[in-house]
Amino acid sequence: MRYLILCVAVLAITFVCSAARAQDAAAKSKEAAAGDAEKGKLVFSSAGCVACHGGQGQGTSLAPQISPPPRELPALIAYVRQPTGKMPPIPVSTASDQDLASVYAYLKSVAPAAAASESLKGNADNGKRLFLSYGCYQCHGYQGVGAAIAPRIGPPPISFAALLRYVRTPTGQMPPYTAKVASDQDFADIYAYLKTFPPPAPASSIPLLNQ
Amino acid sequence: MGKSKKNSVNRRDFLRTAAAGTAAFVAVPGTAKAASLEPRGGAGTPPLLKAPVADGRLSVDVLTVDHPGSDYMVDVLKSLDFEYLCANPGNSFRSLHESLINYGGNVKPEFITCCHEESAVAMSHGYFKIEGKPLLVCVHGTVGLQHASMAIYDAFCDRVPVYIILGNFSDAEYRFGPVDWTHSAQDPAAMIRDYVKWDDNPLSLEAFGESAVRAYKVAMTPPMMPVALVAGHELQENPVPDGANLSVPKLTIPSPPAGESGAVAEAARLLVAAENPVLVTDRIARTPAGLAGMIELAELLQAPVVDRNGRMNFPTRHPLNHTERAGSAIASADVVAGLELTDFWSSVNSVHGQVNPEFRPVTKPGTKLISITANDLYLKSNYQDFQRYQPVDLAIAADGEATLPSLIEAVRREMTDDRKRMFADRGTKLAAAHQRAMQAARDEATSGWDDSPISTARMSAELWAQIKDEDWSLVSNCQFVSRWPLRLWDFNKHYHYIGGEGGYGVGYGAPAAVGAALANRKHGRLTVSIQNDGDLMFAPGVLWTAAHSRIPLLTIMHNNRAYHQELMQIQIMADQHNRGITRAGIGNTLVDPAIDYAKLAQGMGMHGEGPISDPKDLAPAIRRAIEVVKGGDPALVDVITQPR
Repeated sequence: MRYLILCVAVLAITFVCSAARAQDAAAKSKEAAAGDAEKGKLVFSSAGCVACHGGQGQGTSLAPQISPPPRELPALIAYVRQPTGKMPPIPVSTASDQDLASVYAYLKSVAPAAAASESLKGNADNGKRLFLSYGCYQCHGYQGVGAAIAPRIGPPPISFAALLRYVRTPTGQMPPYTAKVASDQDFADIYAYLKTFPPPAPASSIPLLNQ
Repeated sequence: MGKSKKNSVNRRDFLRTAAAGTAAFVAVPGTAKAASLEPRGGAGTPPLLKAPVADGRLSVDVLTVDHPGSDYMVDVLKSLDFEYLCANPGNSFRSLHESLINYGGNVKPEFITCCHEESAVAMSHGYFKIEGKPLLVCVHGTVGLQHASMAIYDAFCDRVPVYIILGNFSDAEYRFGPVDWTHSAQDPAAMIRDYVKWDDNPLSLEAFGESAVRAYKVAMTPPMMPVALVAGHELQENPVPDGANLSVPKLTIPSPPAGESGAVAEAARLLVAAENPVLVTDRIARTPAGLAGMIELAELLQAPVVDRNGRMNFPTRHPLNHTERAGSAIASADVVAGLELTDFWSSVNSVHGQVNPEFRPVTKPGTKLISITANDLYLKSNYQDFQRYQPVDLAIAADGEATLPSLIEAVRREMTDDRKRMFADRGTKLAAAHQRAMQAARDEATSGWDDSPISTARMSAELWAQIKDEDWSLVSNCQFVSRWPLRLWDFNKHYHYIGGEGGYGVGYGAPAAVGAALANRKHGRLTVSIQNDGDLMFAPGVLWTAAHSRIPLLTIMHNNRAYHQELMQIQIMADQHNRGITRAGIGNTLVDPAIDYAKLAQGMGMHGEGPISDPKDLAPAIRRAIEVVKGGDPALVDVITQPR
């Protein structure tokens, strides 16, 4: 029938989707010491990360690109300890916090160089128009609020460069937006629009979410 | 003068005696007009009977029938204890209709007027999932059954018994004109035979009695499914024959099939020995006993439950409910028990890829899989609702709920003190993980909290605030509002949730909610539905049925002004095809003009407010609507929402 094809669990997207959850937990995590990129490369392989994220964290059909890491180290650690979706948990026995710090360093070291498009300046007003007309709102909500089928992206949890890479070669059920149908400038505008939204308030500040 | 038809002459006798068949009618003054074509019977059909005389001429009209066969049908149907009859009227069951409301007193069953046969069947679908027994549904010949068919398919896929009486002009000699011919079929149930469990076309009243009782018995034996029984027009309208020795057969519903003891013991052994067992549920809790049994089993094992929510299987705030972290739980499991799973395969596999799907297991190598389901007892061939085949290590062909008591006992027998200590430790960790998952859901709900259109999380939280202290029942599928009620509310009673369509057919939501509200009415529960806009537009007349029959139901519109699932699908196609990415709304959106659901509700005679797009306006509107519902009437609040 006509329903639910998109509702099949979206493994790859869940990593990004969990940014908001991880942020809260991350605040409680202590910063790990600076990582060793060389060691991180070994851990990235031995812990099995490469199976889904690719050898350099470039992403595969199973999981998204994570080089450069889309969030700070404490949030990354919090997420891999208690992941959601189909990402398996990585216990301390497999990779310590220090190991993950090294993985983090490795992922930063192998990240593609910033593209020229990163320097593009966006027009938020045009971005709002494009966000609607290009159908982004359909899965991510009108203000990028997110839903079960797609993560919150307002404000964007990843850099513009990471976003641009992702929309060109997405994973999971996110459809591709090639340069043929949407320019880098279009996405710079959309990114600017998404940046106009403040981060959500903590749940503890909303009585209706504590009943 | 008119003559009463007793029990010796039926219309077949008359027609065979009459010299020229239909021509005889034409020759009788006053019958030509009556033979004019009018759909659905009404006043358009000819006078019922005329008695022949010896030379074949018509002389004395037979205008009345003392004891039509349909009276006996009512006797039989009353024995099955139907509370209501849902139907759109049609002349192929006009005699039964009349017998039900006059001979039967319009009590048990009471006639509920429906504006579409799909609504009638879907109402029965929703009613069953609250009440645990079917309604009676009557449909009119070929046209009524075709209208009903999609709802029958939904019920079939959802393993819900719907009891359908299908009117038909079975004998061509009893068809008064072209409408009757058009509304007749040689084998009326043929078109739905692929998605009913059983059907019959009895040719005598005796056979009708037996088949009616048998149909109920078949429908109510797991795996439960719809059944259909043809009631021939002539069988209904002709008098019960002289000397007929009719009786009403006794109904005995079989005890549901429970799992074989050896297999159940093996399942218990695997579960107790496992380090990380996971219980995955979909439709195991057919009754309150199923919910209680699931709690007992999970607590005994201190095992996480991942609920696919086809029924109210497990409390959402129970520390062992791990639906929020289903992927992690299943990925780390060494034993997965699928309990009345509709789709075991999708619980232990994932689909990847954009154009060509790739399938991969999500379980660890060596994970043992146990299946307990009545679906292994009976399958149909044509429609593919049985899902992808999943190899398992232990398959128990039995009703899940009926097997729970013996499985619980078998688990108790396997328990040792060591395992109990280990289970307690596991339970402590699982409780902490549950709390983290619940907090993560609340954190996620804050996104777009004050935005307009209103986020589905905000709408769900506002609604929960107004109903949480009532005896409430949510009767709509949560899938299309990102499952927010299931993530935020405290579901813990059997009637708190009834799952979804079964066959994913649009148009189920509104009538199923009305049917469920009908079942909840006598219990005094506050019935709530979060109603998708596109779904309501399939057959909005069911709102009139709710108003007319005073069925208290609070409808909160999830109005995203689109067939949104399809909108996303066409967007994907445009993106993949590299063209026209701004045109996906063509054919998918419900705008220009935007539909005013409050006015639609008002036009049906019920309370309607909205559209509401500012979240601050929601709570007062919901409170006003609840007051109406508490007064015994339906009410609707139109909410302009985020897409999902």
